[in-house]
Amino acid sequence: MIAHFDIDAFYANVEIRDNPDLRGKPVAVAGSSRRAVVLTASYEARPFGVKSAVPLWRALEACPDLVVVKPNMQKYREVSHQIFAIFERRGHPVQGLSMDEAFVDFGDCTLDAGRELAQTIRGEIFEECRLTVSAGVASGMMVAKILSDSCKPDGLESLAPGREAEFLAPLPVGRLWGVGPKTQTRLQERGITTIGDVAALSDERVRAIFGSWGMELRDLARGIDRRNVEPERETKSISTEETFEYDVCDEKQLRELLREQALELAQKLEKEGLSACTIGIKIKRADFQIIVRQTNLAEPTMDAQQIFVSAVHCLQRAELGRSPVRLLGTRVASLVAGEPKQQTLFAGSLQ
Amino acid sequence: MKFTCNTKDISGAVGAASKVVNAHTTVPILSNVLLSADGGKISVRATDLEVTLEHAFPAEVSESGSVTVPAKLFSSYLGNLQAGLMELTGTPTRASVKYERSSYDFHALPAEEYPPLPAAQKGQNFRISAKRFRDGVNAAIFAASSEEARGAVLMGTLLEIEGDSITLVATDGYRLAKYQTTLESGISGSEKYIVPSRALIEAARNLGGAEFVDVTALGAQSNQLMFSAGDASITVRLVDGQYPNYGQVIPAKFDRSMTVSTPSLIAALRRAELVAGDRASMVKLAVSNQTLIVTASSDVSGNAYEELEVEQQGEDLTIAFNARYLVEILNHIESAQTVMEFLGPLSPAAIKPVEPTEGAQQLYVLMPLRQ
Repeated sequence: MIAHFDIDAFYANVEIRDNPDLRGKPVAVAGSSRRAVVLTASYEARPFGVKSAVPLWRALEACPDLVVVKPNMQKYREVSHQIFAIFERRGHPVQGLSMDEAFVDFGDCTLDAGRELAQTIRGEIFEECRLTVSAGVASGMMVAKILSDSCKPDGLESLAPGREAEFLAPLPVGRLWGVGPKTQTRLQERGITTIGDVAALSDERVRAIFGSWGMELRDLARGIDRRNVEPERETKSISTEETFEYDVCDEKQLRELLREQALELAQKLEKEGLSACTIGIKIKRADFQIIVRQTNLAEPTMDAQQIFVSAVHCLQRAELGRSPVRLLGTRVASLVAGEPKQQTLFAGSLQ
Repeated sequence: MKFTCNTKDISGAVGAASKVVNAHTTVPILSNVLLSADGGKISVRATDLEVTLEHAFPAEVSESGSVTVPAKLFSSYLGNLQAGLMELTGTPTRASVKYERSSYDFHALPAEEYPPLPAAQKGQNFRISAKRFRDGVNAAIFAASSEEARGAVLMGTLLEIEGDSITLVATDGYRLAKYQTTLESGISGSEKYIVPSRALIEAARNLGGAEFVDVTALGAQSNQLMFSAGDASITVRLVDGQYPNYGQVIPAKFDRSMTVSTPSLIAALRRAELVAGDRASMVKLAVSNQTLIVTASSDVSGNAYEELEVEQQGEDLTIAFNARYLVEILNHIESAQTVMEFLGPLSPAAIKPVEPTEGAQQLYVLMPLRQ
């Protein structure tokens, strides 16, 4: 049995825990810069559309009473250490996805035993950290995560082994791992809207639509999840990539995607309180040749613009000419805890 | 083409030129150096199209002409010769060397294909003592950026000439170096040039041993500079762009300062940095009671504590720096005592020698770390 744990509205609830005046109010944790986005919002703020990654100004527009708290990464990291110590207490393999989210592999045990263990861990976290956690228990990682997402906040959900395919079938195809919003749109155009639709595809169609990873994806859709919980918590790098529907030659279009990816990575870095010293890109050309370029920075950054500029620099160094590109990705590595921060002489003007 | 020369002369010239050659060039002829024989002199030229180096030495020329040979190979070959005489014969496709009882043929490329020297229209020119030029380059360019992604402007060094004064400025946005001195002969009015730092390194290396270095602007838009001394010259394509307004980030006044022994502070910072560990290499400097306390700590390594006697003026202060940056600056201060001036824990600090080298002014500005 595998359990997925996800602390409810982590940063916001840590702040509310430490400042009871905030209780019951719409609270958002966000930086104070011009481009700040909401890192976490309390459940009271969510009906207003205030959630992670929403620009702060828009959140304030939607919810004028929103209480905005500055993030205290050091505190969140300490609490995260405390919580992970609870996950690891019984010697189970633990795979962290971020500061507030992890898989725990309970090994061979019955569903009931798994539920009980998950309940105990939730109790310990509430007892020791005063935070609520939602958990999903299932035979595989993907289903466990879907379950914990669906019972938030403060819930516990489980699924008996053997019922995975049936459970997954009606869910939208976007819930499948590896299917992002763009792929989802593409699939919908072909009439594939639910996970069940993927599960029902023939060998030929699945290969034609998804290529080499199609079989794996269909297995997942059928509830066959072979991945193991890999106990490594420290984030070594963060990356994002996208396969184009049609191969792209236009450098402007490639840059546009790099800009989006830089923004996405910057948000993830900010959320984790990390900065990157290495920025790299990965290109898969139409002939399937893979090109990797990376660059090192003198000072770690979590700034989207700087990630973008470095990624574009890597793109130029790849000397693609006009050769068509099938896949483009950005990666940040050599991660360090965000602070202390080197101050700059020419604030912002050098970007 | 045919000439006889001293092996040491040609080895020195080809060795210097080959440093300019870009090892990764995809244009075959740019991997070569051009040897031209004319009127009792051989000139050796190499270029990567941004920096061009030319070096001449005397030889007995029996037939003038030119040949190009692969730079790295030929310079390694020459480096393995003892002092003596050698004879070189060049054709469009071959360079043949006779030395003692050996003979070598090197594949050559036709000299006509070698990129011609940049446009020769001369503009402003000035002259600087070679020693001051070397000192200035050494004092400033380490502060320039080495990140290509941040652009050519910050990778360059600014040369500001006003009358008979020259100022070299380099910054990577975190620290700034400024060196000012007097020219042997200046210009009328003022000029600003952004020079790729590596060209200045080559110029200092190749011309620094002379008495003077002459600098001439070339091209109709003055988009190139030529540094020359004796039989050697370096021509460089200038960086096109706007250098950041550095004057505006150097505080006009500071309200606190400390004077400290340069070597003692370097030693303390180097030890403390070992403990500071992570990428930011954070050391804290606390000035109080005529004493400087340097501390550093990390979860992994432990704690560092160093005490130094200083001459303090103004209020107490605690400020954090990247130890690497601070040590690098102090390493370029020759004076036994250094003065550091402050405004506050998040404001730029100035660092300068108490006794500047005669005829020059040296100033560094370093931004602190926010803890």
